[in-house]
Amino acid sequence: MKISMPFKPIGIIAGLLFFLLAGVILVLWQLPIITIPLLVITVAGLLLGVAYLTYAERKIIGYIQVRIGPNRVGPRGWLQPIADAVKLMFKEIIFPSTANRFLFVAAPALTMAPALAAWAVIPFDDKWVFADINAGLLYILAMTSMGVYGVILAGWASNSKYAFLGAMRSAAQIVAYEIAMGFALVGVLMAAGSLNLSDIVNAQRGDYGFLNWYWLPLLPLFLIYFISGLAETNRAPFDVAEGESEIVAGFHVEYSGMLFAVFFLAEYLNMILIAALTALLFLGGWLSPFQGTMLETAFAWVPGIAWFLMKTSIFLFLFLWLRATFPRYRYDQIMRLGWKVFIPLTIVWILVLGILILVELPPWFSTAGV
Amino acid sequence: MYPENYQPVEQAPSHEYELYFGPNHPGIEGNYALQLRITGDHIISARADGGYLHRGFEKLMETRLWIQNVALVPRICVPDPVPMEETYARAVEMLGGLEVPERAQWIRVLMLEMSRICAHIFTVGGNSATIGQYSTMFWGVADRDLMLDLFEEIAGGRIYHMYITPGGVRRDLPDGVLQRLSTVLDRIEAGLPEYDDLFFDNPVFQRRAQNVGAMTQQQALEWGVTGPNLRACGFQSDLRRDDPYLVYQELDFDVVTESAGDIYARTQVRRAEITQSIRILRQVIQRLPDIKGPIRCPLPNPLAWNIPEGSAYARTESSKGELGFFVVSNGGTKPYRVHVRGPSSMHAVQVLEKMCTGARIEDVAQIMFSLDACPPEVDR
Repeated sequence: MKISMPFKPIGIIAGLLFFLLAGVILVLWQLPIITIPLLVITVAGLLLGVAYLTYAERKIIGYIQVRIGPNRVGPRGWLQPIADAVKLMFKEIIFPSTANRFLFVAAPALTMAPALAAWAVIPFDDKWVFADINAGLLYILAMTSMGVYGVILAGWASNSKYAFLGAMRSAAQIVAYEIAMGFALVGVLMAAGSLNLSDIVNAQRGDYGFLNWYWLPLLPLFLIYFISGLAETNRAPFDVAEGESEIVAGFHVEYSGMLFAVFFLAEYLNMILIAALTALLFLGGWLSPFQGTMLETAFAWVPGIAWFLMKTSIFLFLFLWLRATFPRYRYDQIMRLGWKVFIPLTIVWILVLGILILVELPPWFSTAGV
Repeated sequence: MYPENYQPVEQAPSHEYELYFGPNHPGIEGNYALQLRITGDHIISARADGGYLHRGFEKLMETRLWIQNVALVPRICVPDPVPMEETYARAVEMLGGLEVPERAQWIRVLMLEMSRICAHIFTVGGNSATIGQYSTMFWGVADRDLMLDLFEEIAGGRIYHMYITPGGVRRDLPDGVLQRLSTVLDRIEAGLPEYDDLFFDNPVFQRRAQNVGAMTQQQALEWGVTGPNLRACGFQSDLRRDDPYLVYQELDFDVVTESAGDIYARTQVRRAEITQSIRILRQVIQRLPDIKGPIRCPLPNPLAWNIPEGSAYARTESSKGELGFFVVSNGGTKPYRVHVRGPSSMHAVQVLEKMCTGARIEDVAQIMFSLDACPPEVDR
């Protein structure tokens, strides 16, 4: 087994190329210079969010399991994620002797890049969005599907049986759940009449507060979307691609150090992304739950992004809660659930939704109301 | 890139491949290896290799005095050590013709049942951990820890007690330990419905466990299955009732059976046996204070303790099945030969190999845990 240091020159070259590319894009598209600090803040915030999501995960699951969780590094363990990051940075990256080195390094990058890129179209508040494009939902679907290439390549490049098994499973699973997820998004598209995420949120505005959001008329699609999101991010109870008591760690079994950390980051970024998307599409994004009611003025001081982050946190908590209380599905059972339960259900609900829109069911679909 | 002596092996294209499952694998209990032949996700054949935990206990015991072996036997099976001590002690008592005082017999039952509860909680937790749900395991570890505190109070050790010696027990119970045991039992019993909600009644677990890793009663008898695994096939067999030792004939308990013989039935039997053990312990707590007397029979100088020539086989219902010690003495201060019949040596080798055939890769770890196969017991 040959051992090598992390590639410093390659890292520097890649970093320079990245900034060059960013500069070219800025100049070509005549974006305001303020975009750069905003980008940096967003990415840093996301990475910090990932770090403290791992801390929250360990604490919450710890309390569910009558343990304390991390409490050694810093006050109440607050510095634990930092310590983990430092440890991972200093760890050695081991290349299996028969691995394809290029793909082995490219795979984590391929997983990470779409996980970050998808955030470009997420509106954090009214008009707080980097790319307010019309095909936002389509872009999200494209980006979340891209991540599986990294997983498959990682399994293939490792040249290990367990990794290969994990990659194959992940590929099949993502195909199955992507379809259910796509149909759930079709429902949202039909209800809002737009692919633009800001328009979708604005379409959920109404006089009945949180009852106006799409979770109620689209309830089956809402549940299916969230469960498919769990499957898509390879989280429990659908973590067959890395089920540790079954295929050890699945596709990333041969990875160590920063290369592993990148996979880890991508997984948690995707978790936050799915939670944010569920909040945007079904829980009204940055809208206050009291809009149109008596309490609206009382809560007017709360900024929209706070509502958005709160809603996202609810789903993130659900991710962790499910992990602590559900055993893992078996692979064939996951396939059954995806193909035989979710996809037919979504198709049926799309038909029902079509009827609801045709009869202009108030308050969601009445053209006069909005 | 390749090691210098690397020789690629040309293989004909095939749908089968070989997968080494263990000896260091998160789904395997202890160091235990399975060599699986796999097509797709299904296992064509499995070969178990239990030799990774061979520590030569049977040979080591031949070189130690009768009393020294008391410290050695509990190490044979880590999660359930008390039946080991008890069985060895009873085999020696049979050879030496020692009479165990009544109080010591009751204390031994107490220890045995406490150990059974610990072992069952541990196995159920392990079973849930192999399918990715660690909450049951951590809850179980927390409950088991209360028991370990009591063990520490009684014997001084949490895992390896070395408490049961030939002729009785090492020392009497501390004051008030029975009350504390009663509190702990109440807490464990009150926690069982929560385990039901979280694990036993969980539809995902039921779907994974029912009709998986099943054996018929006939197969179980042919393969030498004993204990809870045999009872899960609907066969009424319990050494505590069939061949009573100590004071088990004075105690009131049920032999729990299930009919399906699959993973779910085996976990259900273990869950019900926790309740039965609590029931036995409550009776012991009630009766023990009234039984006075010595806690061990007088022994000769243990350093020059000759056991009469002969051989004896003692057997105990451990949490895993029938545990037997065959001890041969040639009249000296040390055993001439000791053979341990660990129940797991049947469960983890022939039964596991046969059950894995045709199963999926995901089920291997679960089948192994549901059989309660304890690798250190397989190859002593």
